[in-house]
Amino acid sequence: MSTTASSKLLVAVAISLIVGILIGYGIGYFTISPQQPSPTTTTQTPTEKVTLTVIGPWAGAEMKAFQQVLNKFMEEYPNIRVEYRIYRAEDLASILPPQFEAGMAPGDVIFMWGWWIKEYGDKGYLMDLSGLVNPDEYIKGIFDPVKSGNKIYGLPFTAWAKPGFWYRKSFFQQHNLSVPKTWDEFLQLLDKIKQIPGIKAPIVTGDSVGWPISDVVEHFIITFGGPDMQLKLIKGEIKFNDPRVKQIFQNYIIPLIKKGYFSPPIEWTKAVEEWWSGKYALYFMGTWITGMVDDPNDLGFFPLPGCKGVVMGTDYLFVPKFTKHPQEAKLLAKWLATEGQRVHVGTHAGKFATWLKVSIKDHWAPMRMVYQKIKTMTPLPDLDDSIGGEWQKLFWDQLKLLWVDPDKLDDVLNTLTVNFPSK
Amino acid sequence: MSMYRLNPIRSSFLIPALILILIFVVYPIFATIMISFNINVVPGVDITNKPPSLYNYYKVVTDERFINLEGIKTHTFPMGAIVHNIIWLAIHLPLTLIIGILFAVYLQYVKGGSIIRSFIFIGMVIPMIVGGLLISFSFDKDLGVVNILLKAVGLGSFVKTWTIYPDTALFSLILGSVWLWSGFTVTMYSAGLSSIPREVIEAAIVDGADFKTILFKVIIPLLKPVTLTVVAMTILWDLKIFDIVYAATQGGPGGASTVLALLMYEYFARLGDYAMSATVATILTIIIIPVVVLWIKATLHGERK
Repeated sequence: MSTTASSKLLVAVAISLIVGILIGYGIGYFTISPQQPSPTTTTQTPTEKVTLTVIGPWAGAEMKAFQQVLNKFMEEYPNIRVEYRIYRAEDLASILPPQFEAGMAPGDVIFMWGWWIKEYGDKGYLMDLSGLVNPDEYIKGIFDPVKSGNKIYGLPFTAWAKPGFWYRKSFFQQHNLSVPKTWDEFLQLLDKIKQIPGIKAPIVTGDSVGWPISDVVEHFIITFGGPDMQLKLIKGEIKFNDPRVKQIFQNYIIPLIKKGYFSPPIEWTKAVEEWWSGKYALYFMGTWITGMVDDPNDLGFFPLPGCKGVVMGTDYLFVPKFTKHPQEAKLLAKWLATEGQRVHVGTHAGKFATWLKVSIKDHWAPMRMVYQKIKTMTPLPDLDDSIGGEWQKLFWDQLKLLWVDPDKLDDVLNTLTVNFPSK
Repeated sequence: MSMYRLNPIRSSFLIPALILILIFVVYPIFATIMISFNINVVPGVDITNKPPSLYNYYKVVTDERFINLEGIKTHTFPMGAIVHNIIWLAIHLPLTLIIGILFAVYLQYVKGGSIIRSFIFIGMVIPMIVGGLLISFSFDKDLGVVNILLKAVGLGSFVKTWTIYPDTALFSLILGSVWLWSGFTVTMYSAGLSSIPREVIEAAIVDGADFKTILFKVIIPLLKPVTLTVVAMTILWDLKIFDIVYAATQGGPGGASTVLALLMYEYFARLGDYAMSATVATILTIIIIPVVVLWIKATLHGERK
């Protein structure tokens, strides 16, 4: 290529770049409106059938239970069709922000963490649902995570509890095992289980993105640090590298990991199958496990001896401002937070109602048994769900690391402390 | 050099494509670079609330997730996303080249080679996010084919769920990606081999050359243009690797398998910090540009020859 031709080509490329930048800038300036969400508009209930999309985390047996709730709603409101889509909260945390920025939402009613709903409500992306329901008709304080000033950005649906280690009664009978009453008895139980032929490990460790490990760790913290420690950790009043926290890991959790009482993390639904089939004896899980097994009557659970608190959590729902059917979406949201709960707790979902107008008699029988056992325990918020944000993912990830490399305890606790969100 | 003369009428046909490229390629690149310096590209749209500065670059390079000096010093994971990308490249590139060329040569002369080739290519056509899930299953302690093979060859002591341990998570992903990417290299080398005149090989055989000599003195030199493309494409793929890691380990445990693209995604989608995300994207682009330039130069050089 001659020098003149090269220069011409370079000039042409340079001009093209400048023109491109100017065109792009111009288009951006004139077409991208400032990121103010469009104001909420109300529409009349349509004469034509409206389709709403509900997004929630439930798959498999849990989805079947939730679908019963939606079916009941569609029966009551035949002009509204509801489609259900499955997205885990962890995935929604990545999907929703860019969609909101673009003025879109993938669903009309979406289930999400409470802290997240408040955060994005404050950013102006969610509809204010205050006035839809009467907060006095709900468990005290349940609106706190989704409330900001006078505005309520989310409504509570049903609640779950993480009460302790689940076991099969038939397995315990077959191997002459009994529920431990002291820590020493718990250790003896684990040792006894480990000797049973065919057992891979006494306790199966669930995994997905890491939340099942955080649940079992919280249970140890509540048992040996007391409910107060859980609350103080959430508020940041106690640090994770505090000696009082460290000793719980050092004296109770780490020795169990090192002795091989916990299995390595395996996908949590696969863990349910393997535990049920007898490859493991104990599984720390939430009450939704009652709906995931073949015979809920064969289920038993026990908290760690001396435990005085139980982590309870609520599934919250919100309506994004970008819904095309705000009126119908609000109607569905309200229904789910009230009568929908009555339907849901009657299914095999393994949930409790948060709406006080639903009585314990409305609940599925195995859940009544759970309720009787945990009603004297202090209900506590989930630690990582309450703190949320990037730290939540870090917590899960660091605990997974601890499970496979327990010698990294100091590193893990320091990492959790250093990265704890500042107020 | 009339071929470079700009004919106004002919050039006008380029305008529609050029406009689209300018809007959807050039402008976003420009905007990303601007945002990385905390400069809002569209007045009134506050993508970043911070004042214009180099602060994001400082924050990224001092972030342990980007480079972890302690990990590098002690040879333990995590070592930081950029180091993980380099390790990925250092293992994946030579392995994939060797496998690609050996399989391509072998399958060229084996009966039913094209069928085997299409099986190998499956790794390339499946979505990488599915590939990531397959990798995590392949290295599972109980279900994984890798562990079954290890047991079969008497290496039962190595059996474990590779993706959950910090010292093996990254390596399991790299090995899995070799399988996924080999389809590309085998196909490229197979196409290259079929373009080598048969007489050249036959002449070498007549001259008494053995297989090793033919491979290293005839085939590999003649496949140089293909190798250049494969190397460039593999480097680019390794540097922007994301979906496999996201699906298999999410960068864990303890950040032991985090890579640059995942870090960029986390800033963008989880933290909503677009400026930091743009900074990682710009750094990634700066790393990638020399590879692309060298590749284009080498390709143009080859064409001129």
